[in-house]
Amino acid sequence: MLPSPSNQPPILHRYDQPNTRQVLYLEEVGKHQVEIAATGVELTIIGAFSTKDTDSLQVELTVIHQARNTQSHTYLRGVAADTSQLYLSGTIIVHPEAVGTNAFLDERILLVSPTAKAEAIPNLEIEQNEVKCSHAAAISSIPPEQLFYLMSRGLSQPKAIDVITEGFLRVNPEWIA
Amino acid sequence: MARFAPIVPQKTSDWLMDEQYQHGFSFSTQDYALISQPGLSQRVVELIAHHKNEPVWMLKKRLEGLQIFTQKPTPTWGADLSGIDYNAIHYYLRPLSENAKSWQDVPKDIQTTFERLGVPQAEREYLAGVKMQYDSEVVYGSLRQEWEKDGVIFLSMDEGLAKYPQLVKQYFGTVIATGDNKFSALNAAVWSGGSFVYIPPGVKVSMPLQTYFRINSENAGQFERTLIIVDEGASVHYIEGCTAPAYSSQSLHAAVVEIVVKKGAHCQYTTVQNWYKTVYNLVTKRAKVEEEGEMIWTDFNMGSKVTMKYPGFLLTGKGARGETLSMAVAGEGQHLDTGSKALHLAPYTSSSIVSKSISKNGGQATYRGLTHVSPNAVKSKNKVVCDALILDTESISNTYPTQRVLTSEVELEHEATVSRVGEEQLFYLMSRGLSEEQASKMIVQGFVAPLVRKLPLEYAVEMNRLIDMEMEGSIG
Repeated sequence: MLPSPSNQPPILHRYDQPNTRQVLYLEEVGKHQVEIAATGVELTIIGAFSTKDTDSLQVELTVIHQARNTQSHTYLRGVAADTSQLYLSGTIIVHPEAVGTNAFLDERILLVSPTAKAEAIPNLEIEQNEVKCSHAAAISSIPPEQLFYLMSRGLSQPKAIDVITEGFLRVNPEWIA
Repeated sequence: MARFAPIVPQKTSDWLMDEQYQHGFSFSTQDYALISQPGLSQRVVELIAHHKNEPVWMLKKRLEGLQIFTQKPTPTWGADLSGIDYNAIHYYLRPLSENAKSWQDVPKDIQTTFERLGVPQAEREYLAGVKMQYDSEVVYGSLRQEWEKDGVIFLSMDEGLAKYPQLVKQYFGTVIATGDNKFSALNAAVWSGGSFVYIPPGVKVSMPLQTYFRINSENAGQFERTLIIVDEGASVHYIEGCTAPAYSSQSLHAAVVEIVVKKGAHCQYTTVQNWYKTVYNLVTKRAKVEEEGEMIWTDFNMGSKVTMKYPGFLLTGKGARGETLSMAVAGEGQHLDTGSKALHLAPYTSSSIVSKSISKNGGQATYRGLTHVSPNAVKSKNKVVCDALILDTESISNTYPTQRVLTSEVELEHEATVSRVGEEQLFYLMSRGLSEEQASKMIVQGFVAPLVRKLPLEYAVEMNRLIDMEMEGSIG
């Protein structure tokens, strides 16, 4: 099993301005706790992480919906190269009072070396029925047809891998539109 | 959110099972051949082994299990298990001094029990073979001649150990080690009953084999042990059903099921679990799947107070395939913690896990799963889909999937959704003249339909009826 984050206290992000739209970029690794504490908050959370050599990175995100009619959309991306290890965990918690929550969590990890290791853990804890919550997680290597496409256009293999991973980690404008 | 229809007051205060759990009857235990004193000790373990006339290696295994069970702490990561009083449970309850050879020899009470559950009728109509377990022992069994002729073995585990000691010794505990978890250790210590199935190479058993598990006594512990070996190119479908009487005190059911699926073989294992809501159901099930083999778990959980069950497969051969279809309906006072484990240990292995859960009246349904891809399992694929319905504000739904990948060149996908019955779906059906309850039932049936369809027809009909009954009065 890959190491999970230590018992350090989480970095706290709290949103208590009602009816606002916010974007949170996760830059630091470690534990993050996001509290959505005011009615009508729409939050987009974006985190992109890459590891190489013998790195071992852990990101543990918890999104807590505490107020009515709140939304959260979370996008976590990771690329693991060489013999590195990447651990991405995202949990959505919906409290009983958070009626009308709409929450989505998307975790994707790209493994670009056969010796890289990854663990993706998307969790849901829902205590209210008037909600729409979903998550998706995927771990895969670079599809050979994508490499082939770029290499047939004259890119070397390492360059093609660079281009694909760069695109994979880039913020999709639609997320914050 | 504004409602489009008035709320029709409905009586939801009483838990449905109390009125509707049809299998809540029980019979006296005073004619039992043996009931061990409550509580677990080395003496109880030795008593069981003595009564069964077992070989020495089995007694050693039992004592090893007892030791591990006492040492291991109770797991704290899942459902609340603090309510189990290990000292109040009878670990061995032997209803008959000798197993019945024919249906006529089975005592009246036991006959009535299984008649009411519809097992003998099913045996006549569409089963290749049947076993009936009553508390700790299998009391009756049969296998159609056509399969016996082909060399199919379908015995209780105790008979299997007596008649085929070499085969049992070769496979017993190889898929699930005694120390796998606290409850597999407990099972190793006090196991009794269960099925022993061997399907010879190339034999395709086209009708299902079924075992029916019934708890009859109060404070009973049922610890069946099942071992299924499907030899090369063979195929089998095994079904188990479970019910218990409506006692207020708790019972414990801790089974271990080990399956070996050899090269190119196929095995489907279906569980229809409908224990009464005081039963702790803590079961370890795992299959080892060799090259090009296929294992399908269809796991339906409606009953029990607490269920913790994660049927898994070890995909050890190239191209092995595993599939789990899991359904849970959690009502008042129930916590169903179910899921599946897929361990990819060889190249080109694939697996899929589909889980559907419904929580209502304050029930808690949890999906907990693990997908593990080892370094040499290149080109492996896995897909996990979890859908949950929450029917009211008091109920809880959790999803905890874990994906662990130790190699590249794999494809893993996971999706989960949690929602309630959609307003617009209800509106559509009600505008066509259905009542809210009818409409909700129809939507829930549609929700579980992809899984129910995988059951043999007779079971699919029964399952739909059970779900309908569970949904009665739970809308609003």
